[in-house]
Amino acid sequence: MGLGTVVAQTIVNGLMVGMIYVLMAIGFTLVFGIMRIVNFAHGEFYMIGAFVFAIVFDSLGVPVAVSILAAVIVVGLSGVVVERAIFRPFTGDELNGMIASLGLALILQNGALLVLGPSPRSVPAIVDGTVSMAGLVFSLSRMTVIGVGAVAILALYLLVVHTQFGRAMRAVAQDPEIALVQGIRPERVYPIAFALGVALAALAGALMAPVLSVSPFIGLTPTLKAFIVVVIGGLGSIPGAVLGGLLLGLIESAAGTFLSAVVADIAQFVIVIAVVLLRPWGLLGKKEREA
Amino acid sequence: MRRSALLLALAAAVIALIPVVAPNLFYVHLAIVTCLNVMFVLGLAVIARVGQLSMGHAGFGLLGGYVSALLAMNLGLPVPLGLLAATLAAAATAALLGWIILRLRGVYFVLVAFSFGQIVVLLALGMEDITQGANGLVNVPAPAVFGYLLNTKTAFYPLAVAAAALVGTGVWLLFRSPFGDAMAAIAENPRLTESSGVDTHVYQVVAFSIGSGIAGFAGALSTHYFQFISPDSFTFWDSVSYLTMLVVGGRVGVWGPILGAVVLTPLPELLRSTQGLQHVLYGAVLILVLLFLRDGLVGLPARLRGLRRTSAPHPILEHSPERPS
Amino acid sequence: MKRHCLAAAIAVLASGGARSETLLLGVNATLSGGGAIWGEGMLGAARAMADRVNEGGGVKIGDKTYTIDLKVYDDRYRPQDAVTAMDRLINDDGVKVVVGPMGSASTVATQARSTEAKVITLTMGFTPKAIGSALPYAFRPTITTTEFTGPQLAWVGAKLSPKRVRALLPNDETGQSVGASQKEAYKAIGVDLQLDFFDRERVDFVPVLTRILSQSDVLEIGGNSPTTAGLIIKQARELGYKGPILVTGGDVTAELVKVSGKQAAEGTYVHLPLDSGYAETAGYIRDFEAKYRKPVNGHNAFSFAGLQMLLEAMKRAGSVSDTTRIAAELEKVSAFPTIVGKAGWTGRERYGIDHQIDVPFYIGQIRDGVAVKVATCSYKSCE
Repeated sequence: MGLGTVVAQTIVNGLMVGMIYVLMAIGFTLVFGIMRIVNFAHGEFYMIGAFVFAIVFDSLGVPVAVSILAAVIVVGLSGVVVERAIFRPFTGDELNGMIASLGLALILQNGALLVLGPSPRSVPAIVDGTVSMAGLVFSLSRMTVIGVGAVAILALYLLVVHTQFGRAMRAVAQDPEIALVQGIRPERVYPIAFALGVALAALAGALMAPVLSVSPFIGLTPTLKAFIVVVIGGLGSIPGAVLGGLLLGLIESAAGTFLSAVVADIAQFVIVIAVVLLRPWGLLGKKEREA
Repeated sequence: MRRSALLLALAAAVIALIPVVAPNLFYVHLAIVTCLNVMFVLGLAVIARVGQLSMGHAGFGLLGGYVSALLAMNLGLPVPLGLLAATLAAAATAALLGWIILRLRGVYFVLVAFSFGQIVVLLALGMEDITQGANGLVNVPAPAVFGYLLNTKTAFYPLAVAAAALVGTGVWLLFRSPFGDAMAAIAENPRLTESSGVDTHVYQVVAFSIGSGIAGFAGALSTHYFQFISPDSFTFWDSVSYLTMLVVGGRVGVWGPILGAVVLTPLPELLRSTQGLQHVLYGAVLILVLLFLRDGLVGLPARLRGLRRTSAPHPILEHSPERPS
Repeated sequence: MKRHCLAAAIAVLASGGARSETLLLGVNATLSGGGAIWGEGMLGAARAMADRVNEGGGVKIGDKTYTIDLKVYDDRYRPQDAVTAMDRLINDDGVKVVVGPMGSASTVATQARSTEAKVITLTMGFTPKAIGSALPYAFRPTITTTEFTGPQLAWVGAKLSPKRVRALLPNDETGQSVGASQKEAYKAIGVDLQLDFFDRERVDFVPVLTRILSQSDVLEIGGNSPTTAGLIIKQARELGYKGPILVTGGDVTAELVKVSGKQAAEGTYVHLPLDSGYAETAGYIRDFEAKYRKPVNGHNAFSFAGLQMLLEAMKRAGSVSDTTRIAAELEKVSAFPTIVGKAGWTGRERYGIDHQIDVPFYIGQIRDGVAVKVATCSYKSCE
């Protein structure tokens, strides 16, 4: 392989991994921004999304698009239930909401272990093979992840910026009381926002299932990545999550390619500390947070 | 006061009798592990006192464990000195880290502390020349006190109890001191406390340092008891279980953390034969306690008597987070 | 006189017939957390042995008949929990023989306790420290990389004659020890081996593959879980890598192919601890999967073989509790028919004690999703 291919691969791969991080981070930052809950169980919804996709697509033989939709819907609906049953009493209570999410993470991960067993499942590729462009080889399945992720992010952007519900969400994120005064009922917004957040995680899980593999233990790493991305990009900022996610993906990919995987893992922590030191509000976060 | 003195005496008697009445040595082992967990949870309680939660707590245990083990193995340093060094190393690291991240809102602290816990594990794995990588350090020396090598469970037990009692007393005194009052005030309302002339940042950094120092100490003691440490010895899931013990026991004062560790260390043994069920129940208990028993187990008697909030409301329980307004 | 005889007869009946003694068998393995898939295999073996013995009316050791009772504890993939589990097995349950510990760290962390209590362990820890002359009660009924790397590489070296080999290993105990033994073995056949480590939880290998594939004639994947190996193969093939791939460590084929897909796995050389063409092995796998509805992996089959040898040693020693005698007899078991072939013990040269299982193993090549045996190996060489 020539250097050109190596660089191109690095970029494509970085974008793909980054896209997954973006989806994870947007969901995470959405839930935090609106409900003030640091959701340690976020990655477990990724895991469940991957499992639902694997079962529906692989075992039941349902078409790809429908299977992805199934994962998103199942997890989204369970998000509505989880928000009502577990998180509602902790809305706005950062500390206890976070602790509850840890309990939820334990339940979901080990519940999956009990029900589905420890054996990892492999899911056949959505699309097979590679595509050659200008002498460079790209894996089609990875290109698909990038494409679908981009569409999802665009759709979310339109939802948040141009719809009534999007305005309601932004109002609640800014101040639930003022939103209430404006006639927006936060308790209507919370379940949908939470469902939307975890559904994005499920989408990431479903997209990654065929590229990687599925087991009950795959949730923690994406959670960690979501944390890192939101710290880099700025907590509560969706553009920040997009920038931070793609950046982290590219950095990881490049460090993994040209240095070593372990260096790549350590590098991201260094970046986090650096951002916190130099620009604590994140790359695209709002500087002013106390007011 | 008389009643609590009586309770204390009773507890002391039970603790002293464990090695005598225990059906076998396994129970002594469990008692030792309980003492170790008591210290970890107390450390977490100190940090919680200023309204913060450290999800990297186990990382400081790992750091302390490696420091003490390596000093004992490579330099032949006596274990007590190693324990001291481990405590200081963890506390100093926490001070540095805390100085950077405690300026930020609580959630950033959570995220970065969590990341810190992960990076300690990665470093322990990666710095193979020093840490033996994933192999871990084998044959870490057992501590010796006045020339006696505490390399059996019955011999180690008094040391573990003494260490836990020492940490417990220290934390109790800290919470009763003016410094402790200020800590609680910060958790309750940082801005108000700040405006009354208290440098909240310094207090938070000091609390984080003390709590993490205790974790370093407990991690080191644990390493000398098990005579082994590896990167898997203290991970994120350990931080989760310390937190569970704290929440289930109760975040108020020193008795909540102690009770949490005493109840939740032996309890999972009942389910050790199951695949994952123990963790599911752990998680469920955590959520149920949060929903229905926020004061934790120590708050239970007051609950049962129907006397809600006999004491002043605890800052963390009542703490409503600041919101940008 | 008559009454006396009757009493004696009743006593004999009572002891021999109705009342059977219990042989406690401990299992100390990972049942939750990352390593659960292997722990499940070990537990499966213990359960299969217990069921086989109990359904057959017990096993006769000395002049008593025993049924097997299991004590199963999860180490949660943490060395301290393995110690707690071992402590409980030894002190609370009074267990004398243990299937496990599973991981290398768990094995090393528990061995002081099990040795002191004279408890026989059938460990699956791959570390060279798992068995040794100071550990008279620790046996390892599985073939580790230390054993198979040398002979396999010699064979592969002769067949493929590579110049540059790149190995991808997890940054954990297994990976690190595999790396060390391979470095030696490759040097012996004059090949330049470069090692690349990655975090055990990693699932994306494209960056590191992108870097190393251009520099290697042979890609080697060692010490990984089957899933990880499968992922690496899949991703390497997706990157357009066409060269040979070598997978060492564990019994990987079934899981690997599940993850990588048949096409990507085609032609991959694998270490084959089990020969599914061997009637006994095939029979065990078939029966187990029919009865328990779970796949058989290497940890399962080898734990079962270890238990077969252990029961034989107990019979020879005429005791289920005198572990010193049982260990002495176990060491003498040789050419004993187990489900993985005729087995004995070796290892004195390397470990100072003959506690390393001695069975043939194989090199396989994956063809159409199935590993086909292409060479049979002993610890000396492959043919």
